[in-house]
Amino acid sequence: MARYGMALDYKSCINCKACESACKEENGILLGADSHRIWVGVKEIEGVFPDLSIGSTSFEPSQCQQCDNAPCQEVCPTNATYYDDNGVVRVNPDQCILCTYCMQACPYDARYIDDRTLTVDKCNFCSDTRLMNGETTTACQATCPTKVRIFGDLDDPESEISQVLKAREHHTLKTHLGTKPKLYYLT
Amino acid sequence: MKTEISRRRFLQGSAALTIVGVSGAASSLIESEEKAKISDYGLNKTQWSDKLQEISTLCEMCVNKCAAIARVENGVLTKLNPNPLFPKSRNMLCARGNAGIQALDDPDRLKYPLIRAGERGEGKFTRVTWDEAYEYIKDKMVKILDEEKDNRSAIGCCAGEGMAEHTYTSFMQGKIGTANFVNHSSICLATTIGGYTLTLGGYGQADLENAEYVIMAGANRAEAIVTPDTMDLFKRTKGRGAKLVVVDPRFTNTASHADTWLPIEVGTDLAFVLALTYVALTDESYNKKFAKENMSDFETYKEHVISNNYTPEWAEDITGIKAEEIRKVSRDFMAHAPRAIYYQGRRTAWSLQDYQLRRAQAIFSAMGGGIDIKGGIIFGKTLPLGEHRTNSPIYDNAEVRIEKGKAALIGGSGSWIAWRNTIIDGTAPYPVRAFFAYKQNPMLSVPNTAKTKQMLEKMDLVVVIDTMPSDTVMMADVVLPESVYLEREDPVKTFGGAEPSIALRKKVVDAKYDTKPVIEIMRGLGEKLSKPLFEISKKYDESLQEELEGLTEEEVLEYYNENGYDLADGYRHSQETINHHMVASVYGEEAWKTLREKGVFYPDMDKYFKKKSVNAYQYYPEHKKSYSMIEGQLINEPYHDTCVDTKEISVLKKEFRTATKKVACVLSNLEKKKGVPSMPVWNDELYTPTPKGKFKFITGRHGQFTQSATANNALLIDLLSENYLWINKRIAKEKDIELGDMVEVESSIGKIQIKAYPTEKIGPNVLFFVHGFGAESSELTLAHQRGVNDNLIIEDQYENTFGSAAMHETIVNLRRV
Amino acid sequence: MDLNKILPYNKHTVKSFFSFDFTVLNIFMFLLSIGLVTAMFYGIGVYLIHGHHAYGVTRSHAWGLLIAMYVFFVVSSTGLCIMSSLGHVFNIKEFQIIGKRAIAGAIIMILTGFAVIAFEIGHPVRMVIYNVLTPGLTSAIWWMGTLYGLYLFFIILEFFFLNNKIHKYSKIFGLAGLIVGLAAHSNLGAVFGFLVSRPVANGVFYPLYFILSAMVTGSYLLFLMYGWRYKMKFPPEVEKFMITLAQVLGLLLAILMFFEIWRALTHLYGHMPERADIMLHMITSKNFLIGEVLLGMLIPFVIIVYSKGRAIKAMVYASITGMIGIFWMRYDLVHDTQLAPMLKLKIHEYVAAPGLVEYTPTAVEWMISIGAIGVAFMWYYAADKFFDLDHSTDNNGQ
Repeated sequence: MARYGMALDYKSCINCKACESACKEENGILLGADSHRIWVGVKEIEGVFPDLSIGSTSFEPSQCQQCDNAPCQEVCPTNATYYDDNGVVRVNPDQCILCTYCMQACPYDARYIDDRTLTVDKCNFCSDTRLMNGETTTACQATCPTKVRIFGDLDDPESEISQVLKAREHHTLKTHLGTKPKLYYLT
Repeated sequence: MKTEISRRRFLQGSAALTIVGVSGAASSLIESEEKAKISDYGLNKTQWSDKLQEISTLCEMCVNKCAAIARVENGVLTKLNPNPLFPKSRNMLCARGNAGIQALDDPDRLKYPLIRAGERGEGKFTRVTWDEAYEYIKDKMVKILDEEKDNRSAIGCCAGEGMAEHTYTSFMQGKIGTANFVNHSSICLATTIGGYTLTLGGYGQADLENAEYVIMAGANRAEAIVTPDTMDLFKRTKGRGAKLVVVDPRFTNTASHADTWLPIEVGTDLAFVLALTYVALTDESYNKKFAKENMSDFETYKEHVISNNYTPEWAEDITGIKAEEIRKVSRDFMAHAPRAIYYQGRRTAWSLQDYQLRRAQAIFSAMGGGIDIKGGIIFGKTLPLGEHRTNSPIYDNAEVRIEKGKAALIGGSGSWIAWRNTIIDGTAPYPVRAFFAYKQNPMLSVPNTAKTKQMLEKMDLVVVIDTMPSDTVMMADVVLPESVYLEREDPVKTFGGAEPSIALRKKVVDAKYDTKPVIEIMRGLGEKLSKPLFEISKKYDESLQEELEGLTEEEVLEYYNENGYDLADGYRHSQETINHHMVASVYGEEAWKTLREKGVFYPDMDKYFKKKSVNAYQYYPEHKKSYSMIEGQLINEPYHDTCVDTKEISVLKKEFRTATKKVACVLSNLEKKKGVPSMPVWNDELYTPTPKGKFKFITGRHGQFTQSATANNALLIDLLSENYLWINKRIAKEKDIELGDMVEVESSIGKIQIKAYPTEKIGPNVLFFVHGFGAESSELTLAHQRGVNDNLIIEDQYENTFGSAAMHETIVNLRRV
Repeated sequence: MDLNKILPYNKHTVKSFFSFDFTVLNIFMFLLSIGLVTAMFYGIGVYLIHGHHAYGVTRSHAWGLLIAMYVFFVVSSTGLCIMSSLGHVFNIKEFQIIGKRAIAGAIIMILTGFAVIAFEIGHPVRMVIYNVLTPGLTSAIWWMGTLYGLYLFFIILEFFFLNNKIHKYSKIFGLAGLIVGLAAHSNLGAVFGFLVSRPVANGVFYPLYFILSAMVTGSYLLFLMYGWRYKMKFPPEVEKFMITLAQVLGLLLAILMFFEIWRALTHLYGHMPERADIMLHMITSKNFLIGEVLLGMLIPFVIIVYSKGRAIKAMVYASITGMIGIFWMRYDLVHDTQLAPMLKLKIHEYVAAPGLVEYTPTAVEWMISIGAIGVAFMWYYAADKFFDLDHSTDNNGQ
C-alpha cells in the first residue's frame, strides 16, 4: 500500500529515447506513431543563429502524471479508469468502452488507443509487469543513461524520492489545474 | 507470444466474406500504408512464467558493449535490462541496447549461407550449405593464389568493430597472411588515437566524473553515446559541477547542455586550439612546472606558436569565434586545470589537418597538467587476461599493403580510402583479387559509395560475413551469415580505466537460423582452405621450399602443424573453453564462475560493489580507483606543499610512453623521415574556406542509430523514421524551402535528394544530415530507400599522416527540387 | 394480439407503404434518402473492417465528425421535445397542434443519434453492461447516457399516450420527458464544460448554450417538417403556429447571438493562452463566419426581423441554411475544444513545434454522418405512413 510517484532530474536528460524504447519492450506496446506511453518533449530553441539561447532549450521527459486528482478517473463512465492500491491510475481494459472521454479530459496527452484491445492505455508505472513481479524500478528508470528518474513511495519518508523532494526544489506540470500530479520535475 | 486478437482482426475475417465489394475499395480510403508497416512488427512481452531465465550478456548494438541481463522465456527473448555490475556502462542501456531484441527477431536477417546467382550487385542468391559455401571460396582462392604466385596480399579484407573482430582479423591477417587489411579506424578515430598516442603515449580516457572544465569540440556525447563519458558528463552539466564548452558548427543535443556554445567554421578547429595555446602561453597561465618536468621541447613549441602569431584575432578570422571568447576559454581552462580536459573526440575524420589538430589538443591539455590525474585525461588500469595465441605462418610472397606510401603512417589498419582508390585507379603494385568483409558495410560507410562499388566489381571473389542483408552483402559472391550477438558467446574482454573490469558475453538464445558465430566460420574456412593453400605455398614460396627440402611426409605434416599452416588451429576450441582459460589462468576458478554467473568480474568485486541509491552503484571505493598510473618521482622542493595546491600534484614527474618519456611537443623524427611537420602548424593550403553561396557538408551520429547497422530496426525507426537535411532557416527562406520540401544537394562526386529541415541550429554555410540511412538493398524491408546515404556526396579526401578520411571537406551546392 | 389496440397505427401493404405522389420533389427526396442510406452502410462496412483507422481521429483529436453528428441529432431531438412542450406542458395555444409530429421527430432524431454513436463507441455492448454494473457517477457522459436512455423511454411513452389520446398520461410523460431531456442535454454540454484540460470549453457556457441551441434547432426542424407536410399551403391554425414560431425563434436567435458575442469577448479579453488564441482562431474561421453566423443565425434572423415573423415560406427555406449552420455549430464545438495541443513540445525530431491540432474527417466519417440524415428521413417517412401525425381539427387540436 504505497503511494508511488516519480521524481525527474530532467536537467540530465539527453533525449536519447532509451526510456521510450524500454517502455515499449517491457510493456509490449505496439510500434507506430501515436502509440506511446512515454516521450521526451523538446522545447524548440529560441534565437537566431549564431545567437541561440542555450537556456531556452530543454528536454522534458514525460508520461502519465498519475494524478492524485485525476480528471481521467473523474470522467470515466464505467470506472474503467481507477486508482489502484498504490495510487497508480490504472485502466481496466475489460471495462473500457473506448468513449475516449478520458483522452479529452487529460491535460497531459498521456493516453492513447491500444489497437489490439481497442481500449485506452497509458503509463501505469510498470505495475502489471515489473512491480508485480518483484522489481522496484520502472523500465524507463532502469534503462536511463543519466539516471533522470527516481521512482518510489511518496508516503515513505525514508524512501529516496521522499528525501530528494524534501532536499530539492521541484515543480509539477499544469499545477494550476489542480490535478495533483505525482511526477515531480527537480530544478 | 501472440498478441491478443482484437475485434477488428476477428471481423476482418468474417466481415470480409460478407462485404466483399467494400474491402477492395476500402483500403484506398484508409490512409498511410507506411504507418501500418512499422506497427506490423510486434513485441514480445514477458509472461513472467516460472520458465523465466535471466542471462547476462554484453550488448553489441554499438562499440560500447554495455552489460545487459536478458530475460528469456521458453527460448524467446522478451526484454533486455541493464546489468548494474559493469562499471563502464553504469547500469544503463540506451535505445539501441533495448532494440537488440529487434536485431535478433528481424525477419530480414541473413538466415543461411548464400551464393550469388545473378550478376554481382543484382541481389540474386541461392541458398547453399556451409560446406558448399566454403568449397566455392576455396576454389576461387586457390585459383587466385595460384595465379598470383602465393602473394597472400592478393586477398584483401575489412572488418567492422566487434567483440569477435580479433577472431576474424587473426585469421585473415595471421593465418591467410594478407597485409591488405582495412578497418574503420581510418574512417573514424585514427588521427585522434595517433595524435594523442604520439604526444602523450596513449589516447587515454577523459575522467568526466571529476573534470571541472571540458571543451568538447565536435564530439556529440549526448547523441554519439560513449560509456561512461556520456553518463558521467551529463549528470554534472548545467551548473552541477562540470563546465562544458561545446565547439561545433551545429547546435547539437550536447550543446544544449553547454555553458557556452561556440559555432565554429567547419574544419578550423586547429586554428582555435593554436589560439588557445597562444593565449595560455602569453598569459603564462599554463602549468609551468608540469611543462618543465613532463613536456619535452616545450620551449621550442612555445616559440613556434608565438612567433607564428596564432593570436585570437588571427583565429577569429578563420574560425568565426570571437577573439574575446577564445581568450576566455583559454583562461577558464587553465584556471580549472588540472581538472580541465580538451576532450579527445572519437569519430574525428574531419579535415586535412586533423592529425596536427589532435596533437595541438593533447599539448594544450598537457599544458594544464591534466594528464594521468583525477579530473583530467587518465590512462587508468587494465586487468590482464590470459593469452590465447594462434600460430601464424610466415608467407614470403606476401607483399606489403598496396597503399603504403600514400600517407606518412599507414599502419596495420590501413587507410580505407587510399587502399580502395589504389585498387581502382590502377596504381596498385599488384592486383588485389579477393575481398572479405566482416561486420562492415563499406558501401554505406566509406566516402564515395560509387568508388566502393567499383572496387567490389573489380574483385574475383567477394565474401561477406554479416547478420543483415546490407548493401555490401548485396555485392557479395558468397554470404556467410553470422549469428546475432545474442545467439553467441564471444571472446571475454577486459575493459580498462579508472574502474577496470572484465566482462563476458554469453549466449542468450539458441541460433534461430542456420547461422554461425565467426569463430566457427573461421574454423570451417580454415579446415577447407588449409591443405589446398599449403600446396600453393609449397609451389611458390621459396623459403618454405627450403624449409621442407628433404623432409619426409610425416615431418612435413609436423612442420605444417607447428608453424601454423593448419589454418583452423586456434579456432577449434569452443569460445567458452578459450574464455575459461583466459580468465581462470589469471584469476582462478572462482573468478570464472562469478564471471559466468554475473557477466562481470573484477578483483574484490564482492567487497567493493555496493548499491548507493535506487539508480547508482559503487564499483570501486574512491581510494581504489585508478587515476594516476604512470610511476613517477616526487619532486621535492621546500616551498612546494603538495597537499595544498592540486596544480602542483600534477607536477609529479611522469614517464609517458612516448619516445622522449615525456609529453612530446616536437616529433622531429616524423618530420625527418616522413615529412610530417614536427609541431602543430596551421597550413593555409590545407584549408578551403567555404565559397560564397555554397556549403560545407558535414555528417554525424544519432542517439537512436548506430551508423548503418541499425537501419532496419523497427523499434528504432519508430523513434526516428528518416534523416532530413539541416539547413539554416534564413537560407531556406531565401530559397523558398519549407519543412519537408525535397531539395537536391550536389557535390563533385554525386548528388542526392532529401527532405529539408530548416533550423536555427546550423550556420548559413553548412549543411548536415545523419549518417547511416539510404540503404539500397531491397532485402531490407524497412531500411530500403529510407532516408539518404551521405557517402553518395562525401568526397574521398584523406589527410596525409594516417590516410584518415577527411569527411568535412566536401563543398556542395543546394537547390530546391 | 392486435397491435392496433395498444398503439393505433395505419395498416399498409408493402405496395401502399412505398407509394407516394410522384412529384419531382418527392422523387428527389426518395433518391436522396436511398443514396444517403447506402453511403452510410458503405461507411459502416469500412468501419467494421478497419475500426477507428477508417476515421481521421488521432491521439490528440480523439473526437471527430461522428461525435459532432451525434450531438447534432440529440440536440435536434431535445429541441423538438422542448418546443413541443411549449404546447402541452406550458399550454401555449399555438404550439398545441404540433405534439405528435414533434415527438415523433424527437424519437427519430435520438434513435438516429444513437445509431451514429454506435459506430464511434468502441464497445457499445460493454457500455450497456458496465454503465449499469460499475457506473462512474462523476462522469458527465454517464449521466448523459443514462438520462438520454430514460428520456427516450419517456418520450416513447408520451407518443404512445398521444396516439391513444390519453391526455392525462401524455402530459405527465411529456413533462417527465422534458425535465429528463433538459437534464440530459445540459449534461451533454457539461461533458465539455467540465473539462479542466480545455480552457476554451471549460465553464458554464456549454451546458446553458446547449439548451438554447436545442430550441433553435427544434424551431428550424419544425419549419422544415411543417413546410414539407403542407407543401407551403398552410391551414390557418398551422399558419398561426408558424408565425408564432418565427417570432419565438427571432427571440431565441437574438439571445443566441448575445450569448455568442459575450462568449467571444470573455474568451478574448485578457489574452489567456489556450483560450484567447483558440477563440480568435474560431471566430476568424470560415466554419464560424459563413456556417454558424451567416447561414445559422443571420439569414433566418434578418428574414424574421424584416418580415416581423410573417414570411413563413422564406423561413422554411431559411431553415435549410439554418440547419447547415447548426451542423457547423456542432462540428466547431467538437473540433475547437480539441484545437489546443495538450503537449506543446515536439516529441519527434524533424517536425515543426506543435501548433493547433489538425483534423480532417475522412470520407468514411462523412458517409456515416451525412448518411444518417438519410436514415432519419426514412424513419420519418415511415412514421408519417404508420401514424397520424397531424393535429386533430377539433378545438383541442392535439
